[in-house]
Amino acid sequence: MVLLILLLLPLFTATLLVVTRPTNVARAIALVSSLVTLGLALWLWHTYTGQPVTVIDRDWVPAWGLRVLLGYDGTGLLMLLLTALMFPFIIAAGFKQDLRHPSFVNALLLYSQSFLLGVFMAQNAFLFYIFYELALLPVFFLLLYWGGERRRAITVRFFIYTLLGGLSLLFGIAYCVVQEPSHSADFSKLAALDLPFDVQVWLFWALFLAFAIKLPIFPFHSWQPDTYTMAPLQGTMVLAGVMLKMGLYGTLKFIFPIVPLGADHWRELVIWLSIFGAIYAAVIAFRQTDLKRLVAYSSLSHVGILTAGLFAWNTYGVSGSLYQAFAHAVLVIALLYIVGVVKDRVGSSEIGAMGGMKLKTPRLAALFLLVLLNAVALPLTQSFIGEWLMFNGLWQLENGGWITLAAVSTIVLGAIYMLYAYQRVMLGPDRWKLELNDADRHDHLFLIPLIAITLVLGVYPQPILDLVNGPVQQMLSTFTALN
Amino acid sequence: MSALILASILGVLLLYLGLWGNKKVLAPVGIAGLLGTLALIQSGWYMDFPMFDHMVRFDGFSKAFNGAMILITVLIFLFGIDYYEKMKEHVAEHYALMVFSLTGAFLLTSYSNLLVLFLGIEILSIPLYVLAGGKRHSFRSGEAAFKYFLLGSFATAFFLMGIALIYGVTASFDLGKVQAFAGSADGGTNMLFLLGLFFTAIGLSFKVAAVPFHFWSPDVYEGSPTLVTAFMSTVVKTAAFAGFYRLVDMTAMPEALSRTLLVMTILTLLVGNIVALRQSQFKRLMAYSSIAHSGFLLMALLSNGGLTPQVLFYYTFTYALATVGLFIVLTLAKRAANGDENIRIFRGLFRAKPWLAIVTMLLLLSLAGIPLTAGFIAKYQVFLLALEAGFIKTTVFAVIMAVVGIYYYVLVIREAFTPAATEPVLVVAPVNWFVVSLCGLSVVIFGALPWLLAY
Repeated sequence: MVLLILLLLPLFTATLLVVTRPTNVARAIALVSSLVTLGLALWLWHTYTGQPVTVIDRDWVPAWGLRVLLGYDGTGLLMLLLTALMFPFIIAAGFKQDLRHPSFVNALLLYSQSFLLGVFMAQNAFLFYIFYELALLPVFFLLLYWGGERRRAITVRFFIYTLLGGLSLLFGIAYCVVQEPSHSADFSKLAALDLPFDVQVWLFWALFLAFAIKLPIFPFHSWQPDTYTMAPLQGTMVLAGVMLKMGLYGTLKFIFPIVPLGADHWRELVIWLSIFGAIYAAVIAFRQTDLKRLVAYSSLSHVGILTAGLFAWNTYGVSGSLYQAFAHAVLVIALLYIVGVVKDRVGSSEIGAMGGMKLKTPRLAALFLLVLLNAVALPLTQSFIGEWLMFNGLWQLENGGWITLAAVSTIVLGAIYMLYAYQRVMLGPDRWKLELNDADRHDHLFLIPLIAITLVLGVYPQPILDLVNGPVQQMLSTFTALN
Repeated sequence: MSALILASILGVLLLYLGLWGNKKVLAPVGIAGLLGTLALIQSGWYMDFPMFDHMVRFDGFSKAFNGAMILITVLIFLFGIDYYEKMKEHVAEHYALMVFSLTGAFLLTSYSNLLVLFLGIEILSIPLYVLAGGKRHSFRSGEAAFKYFLLGSFATAFFLMGIALIYGVTASFDLGKVQAFAGSADGGTNMLFLLGLFFTAIGLSFKVAAVPFHFWSPDVYEGSPTLVTAFMSTVVKTAAFAGFYRLVDMTAMPEALSRTLLVMTILTLLVGNIVALRQSQFKRLMAYSSIAHSGFLLMALLSNGGLTPQVLFYYTFTYALATVGLFIVLTLAKRAANGDENIRIFRGLFRAKPWLAIVTMLLLLSLAGIPLTAGFIAKYQVFLLALEAGFIKTTVFAVIMAVVGIYYYVLVIREAFTPAATEPVLVVAPVNWFVVSLCGLSVVIFGALPWLLAY
């Protein structure tokens, strides 16, 4: 029941906002709704016993395997928590952005929240796909209406790219449903499907293409930097903070249970592609002159390692990857918020126009530095735990030494481009004739909770690891049975 | 049978009402008559009963398709109230010709004799040749009518040739007898029989605008009055596919026919979607999109599984709903833009009429096949059918073409949601608003609850 409210509350609030169109209180209403959602998600966590939960089970169109089957296990719950936790921040970021039509902006954000929650609670592949595609639509409009100057072309590119992946996923699902004797698309039924090896080898790509584009990993990433840069701040936060986790979660739900042999076959290729993409993005990030674009490339780099860790396919790798997904969401939202604040002060996100801001805005500089510590995975931050677990996982592979070496190099590169960016933005001689406003109360209220989450979970990661441990072990047992 | 008779009488009645001179009563009378026909069809009289000496047979299949075509025609008549308001004379002929054409469509969905199929095609087409030239003083309209007539006759000739060959082999026009022959050992190899099937398939491919018999459709769509274009791309297409299905179902699908259909499916998907990318005129865009959708429908036909008739019905009906709605929106936008048909005229639609823009988006999303719209369910069903029949590579290709298709629909959505320099002044008559909203809501409802359309 709580799960259903969790799904419907944002949907209801969004529709309310569209219908009544309040201008002044729209943001407040959306924020309250997202906080209630967070409370519900925490309640779910509190009552979770470690066993998979199925809440709703209704037939929709049985002939094609479509069923309304909602529930969650540890990984699903982690993603639900992540979504519920990030959206209050995403909506709060809007208080400083004076976008046109605030009721529509917040309605679109809440719609996307609802659909994303739907993705993470769907236990039927077809239902998953429906939410997966629906989640795209609000972002499409956010981008088209409130995006930057080149938004028209970029919106269409983004849309087509993601739908290409989506339809490929649909094809994969359709194929599986046809193969399944009772024509069911439930994940539990599809996991029992024992497809022959030569089918799995191509079916892997049909299913994985969608997630590879969504994450994105190299070479399916070309939509990402432009879209992240051109989208309005909150849109980028949704895309980078929550939406790309659909790719990760989808890989867990589809790839390993349904096409384990295919995944095993292509594993090494995917790992190398991801790591290559991570290094490549890190190098490009170093050369960026636009702060938001730099964050986009840094996100690309982090996601590469995330995917590699996932495909290491052992306890360390998978839990590390899931943990890092959480860390990355917190990190990228904080970073994007700072980009927004700096842009607000300076009037542009060109790094060349900045420098020496620390002298005028010491508190902002301090907050930025604290966020940065997480970005470079310093010990006692959340990212450190995630990265360390993933490197452990990668080390256990065949050729693990080389893979880990390559993966670790992205940490070094990450530290270089991040600190270099910090230097160019904050340090250096004072070049500002005018006064710049320092971080205000709103900025503190926004960033300090995020930094606190980072530090607390960086010191005590066990609750999250406990949460995902059960499902991860279960998933890995199928893999062990395979060998 | 009674439905056929009522529809024919309705056409004649409408012609006489035209003489009387009051054009306000035409649409209401037409709609009332159509609803009466619908009631007769749904009442199930003479169901599964060979009529006219084994010429026609109404069954569940034709009942569903006829019902859908009547409903679509009703929507088009409602659209006609506003569309024909400025037209002084010969309004009655337009309504009457559409009813006659619909009568032909009834024959196409329910024939059990190849001669009736031929009659159906002709009764369906001849009124359309006239309707395409409905704007008498427009050069483009005349061109459309002439082109349609010439190429249509050409296809009919092929079709007749095919029937003659089939008759030559089986010594009968009766579907049952032909089917018996097709099922026999000789059916898959007899050269004359296969050639006959091939020629009949060409004739029907022309009607559904399958590549390489599609060249007429963009010009005819563009030249004809918008209302007639709407009729052609919905009712006529539905009827042609229903007729095509009955033909294909009869033959037990010999290898040669299956190959032919496969090649046509692939070409249709390819040409329809790729050429649509380059279109800037909305009607031409819709023509190529219609060709592309023919490709998906052909794929369902080709798979020929047990569910094919249901899938064809669902697909054509929901496609028709979306298309009618979009042509109405086009007419409104075109009036505001002084007759321009470029997709640019949709710019600023959201600012001017938010609800209309949202409905337009829903209709376009349905054509593009985005989840929770009917178009998505339709495509998904086709993919399932094809996969079940083992056409894996063709399905992959169709999926890629579906992505290409999304691009040009999204371009139109983007226009509708981009603010314009000068806001278009759209005048929306209540009846048009009603029909467009109905179409928009029904594609969502049928998308969310697809079993409503199972028969």
